[in-house]
Amino acid sequence: MAENNGQLIVEDVYLSFGGTLALVDVSFNVHKGEILAIIGPNGAGKTSLLNCINNFYKPDKGSITFNGTNITKLPPYKIAKLGIARTFQNLALYTGLSTVDNLMAARHLHMHQSMWGSMLYWGPAQREEVENRKIVEEIIDFLEIEHIRKATVGALPYGLRKRVELGRALAMEPELLLLDEPMTGMNVEEKEDMARFILDIHELQDTTIVLIEHDMGLVMDISERVVVLDFGRKIAEGSPKEVRNNPNVIQAYLGQEG
Amino acid sequence: MDDSTLKVIDTLPKHFMERVREYGDRKVAVRQKEFGIWQEFTWKDSFHQVRDICLGLASLGLQRGDKVSIIGDNDRQHLWADLAILAAGATAVGIFTDAIPSEMEYVAAHSESVLVFAKDQEQVDKFLEIREKIPLVKTVIYWDSHGMWNYNDPWLISYDRVQELGRKLGEEQPELFHNLVAEGKGDDLCLLCYTSGTTGLPKGAMLSHLNFLAGIEATAKVEPRFDTDNQISFAPLAWIAEHTLSVTPHCRFGLIVNFPESPETVQANIREIAPDLIFFPARLWENLCAMVQIRIKDSTWINRMFYKLFLPIGYKVADLQYEGKRVGPLLAFLYWLGDLLVFRPLRDQLGLGRVRTAITAGAALSPDMLRYFRAFGINLGQVFSSTETAAVGTQHFSDDVKYASVGKPVPCCQVKIADDGEIWLGGDNIFHGYFRDRDKTSQSLSIDENGTRWFHTGDAGYMDDDGHLIYLDRLKDMIELANKEQFSPQFIEGRLKFSPYIRDVMAVGNSEVDIVTALISIDFESVGRFAEKNRITYTTFVDLSQKPEVYQLILEAVKGVNETLPPGGRVKKFVLLHKEFDADEAEMTRTRKLRRGFLTDRYSEMISAMYGDVDSVSVSATVRYQDGREGVVETDVRIMTLEETVSA
Repeated sequence: MAENNGQLIVEDVYLSFGGTLALVDVSFNVHKGEILAIIGPNGAGKTSLLNCINNFYKPDKGSITFNGTNITKLPPYKIAKLGIARTFQNLALYTGLSTVDNLMAARHLHMHQSMWGSMLYWGPAQREEVENRKIVEEIIDFLEIEHIRKATVGALPYGLRKRVELGRALAMEPELLLLDEPMTGMNVEEKEDMARFILDIHELQDTTIVLIEHDMGLVMDISERVVVLDFGRKIAEGSPKEVRNNPNVIQAYLGQEG
Repeated sequence: MDDSTLKVIDTLPKHFMERVREYGDRKVAVRQKEFGIWQEFTWKDSFHQVRDICLGLASLGLQRGDKVSIIGDNDRQHLWADLAILAAGATAVGIFTDAIPSEMEYVAAHSESVLVFAKDQEQVDKFLEIREKIPLVKTVIYWDSHGMWNYNDPWLISYDRVQELGRKLGEEQPELFHNLVAEGKGDDLCLLCYTSGTTGLPKGAMLSHLNFLAGIEATAKVEPRFDTDNQISFAPLAWIAEHTLSVTPHCRFGLIVNFPESPETVQANIREIAPDLIFFPARLWENLCAMVQIRIKDSTWINRMFYKLFLPIGYKVADLQYEGKRVGPLLAFLYWLGDLLVFRPLRDQLGLGRVRTAITAGAALSPDMLRYFRAFGINLGQVFSSTETAAVGTQHFSDDVKYASVGKPVPCCQVKIADDGEIWLGGDNIFHGYFRDRDKTSQSLSIDENGTRWFHTGDAGYMDDDGHLIYLDRLKDMIELANKEQFSPQFIEGRLKFSPYIRDVMAVGNSEVDIVTALISIDFESVGRFAEKNRITYTTFVDLSQKPEVYQLILEAVKGVNETLPPGGRVKKFVLLHKEFDADEAEMTRTRKLRRGFLTDRYSEMISAMYGDVDSVSVSATVRYQDGREGVVETDVRIMTLEETVSA
């Protein structure tokens, strides 16, 4: 059964852009409640793979199953509804809105009032707003971003915007969280903070986390398993230690000897 | 209350219980912003918290007279833990939140603490690191479980669990809590306060309940406190001032203590609460002043115009009030207008809209700064006191301010000037010595034939004809140059720091040289803005600090200050440092006072270069980063010499 093999099953996925093969026969499983890192040199297809999972790209071949449901052909918003949230390498926030508003927008998924009900505001719509605001405030507390609650996101420094984006993903209360380079462009201290938040999310809510990251030290520290891609192919999979000693991986990163 | 009542209700927990009986659940005791909302807790809520924690501590084996260390940001649990420790008859020992493990180890071990309160994962991890070295500590209690879900160490126990233990004990012995409180005596040790120590290892000043109560009772006679007052608690609770300004008056007068949401939101939270009394260390007032000046510069032309127009009127009124003269009707009207258009909005922006009394202490605040804030209607005064005097000593009373002085003695406190010019403070608020340190105690504490305790402050000063205390400098820091001219480095530094472009200064000079020089550290933010405005490109702090335009900018500031100094004590040369003074590198204390000895040593090359003929010096300084790593910065630092303006 699917549950035994994994929460997310990626099977024989192919993806090409014109003549360029971005992903070739990629298969792997993500187990419930684990932290899995996808690593690989630049252009290895890591982000393309995430994009296939929430169907920004349609794989040419292969299937992706989440909790036993085939999600290969589902539109992104339906995939989000099933409990997969993600963050983006280059950030995808409403830069003109405040932190709170960005997080509240992510709660949209959990709001059920009709347009007419919302326009009236009082009554059920207000109660719903308050309930969702409570959840958003808990996330703000969790990520320690109280001081930028009302700040316009576009004016925030990069490290904080990344944190807001993580908050936005969390506000969807996902079962599976996809993080695309959550720590790029951060200094050591910010990276350590971010790593701590990721571990806390994992510990506290048992959220399954798939992350792409370039900082090897961090990847090896926080992930339980690692999948390595190179030129669109999976070249290794296993514990950080196994992967580190895998000759294929060493070759991919350091190049051919000679 | 007169002194005889103080003999009956003689501890902080007894006063706390008086307030609980008085207000019950009809009045708010504590507020804390959480999840974006100010959450309120009544005196009854507070009582339950304190009682359960206190009994929980008792069931963990805490005995009367034991010491308990506590470290964490200011929040309600911190206050409740503090009161619970005192209620159990034990002594609280505060540790600064940014202390590194070795500092925490020193305080916990030296104070012989048997229990520790550590707020969160960050602090708990530090204690786990030094666990082997503090064998007396039986248990560490944490109150923020964020990130602690997988800690299964039996050495650690949660705040909630301690309360559970307390409730159980309370059911078995319902009278125990009241008995514990009743057994307390005024002379019991209340707080061990490890002074930031500008020299050597921190010393643990022993303060009794009566020290605090005598101090607050006397201060309230001149600056009354009310149970409707809102206090905002953000200065480190490990510091004496917070106990004198928040904890003690909370218990004694029932004022409301408000805790900010997080250390980053303090500024915004102050504005929301608009406290009635505010205490900022001198540095913060300086920062605030720089901030106002920068914001005004960046503001619209109309704001700038009003500010320029009305500030002189503010100054004029402040000066008249200062001289005790009457303000004429026209001036009064203009000031009213200025208040409406500039001063009131400004006070509101700073969160000082309701402030009755604003005070400063720590390092000396320059007279210019006092005058500046008083000009826009903030009743700012200086307090001269120290940890050893329970933060009570002399103070500017509202209607009796003298810029050059540090105020008059608070009623419980006497001032005496020793033969060598040292200021002594005496009275019931004076501490009982340093814990486990006889030598230091006998150096700084003496008891006269009437039984009055006198603290030898180590400061130089004199009383003027109006009974105001004039503070000069640390006794050991008054400096005589080779040509017998005297100068006070602190005075020069205070004046220079009035420039928004200067963050820190150390003035240098000694008996072997003839001139005064200065190490200046620029304010990166203000100078950065200046550079941007004038299209000066720069990369890092090091780069910016060495720009010729920046030297010119600072030169103007130094010239301005020199005009107010006697010719022999003027700054003749200065350098702009390639970095800021940093508490993590032990260049300043945690309360941001300069550590002169250390700095003189560290920058010895630069200082000797200033007394030589060269016009630049290359430095390579070891820098310790915040994460503990070390790096080396190499650069050339220019020496600026001021031309002699010979007056005929």
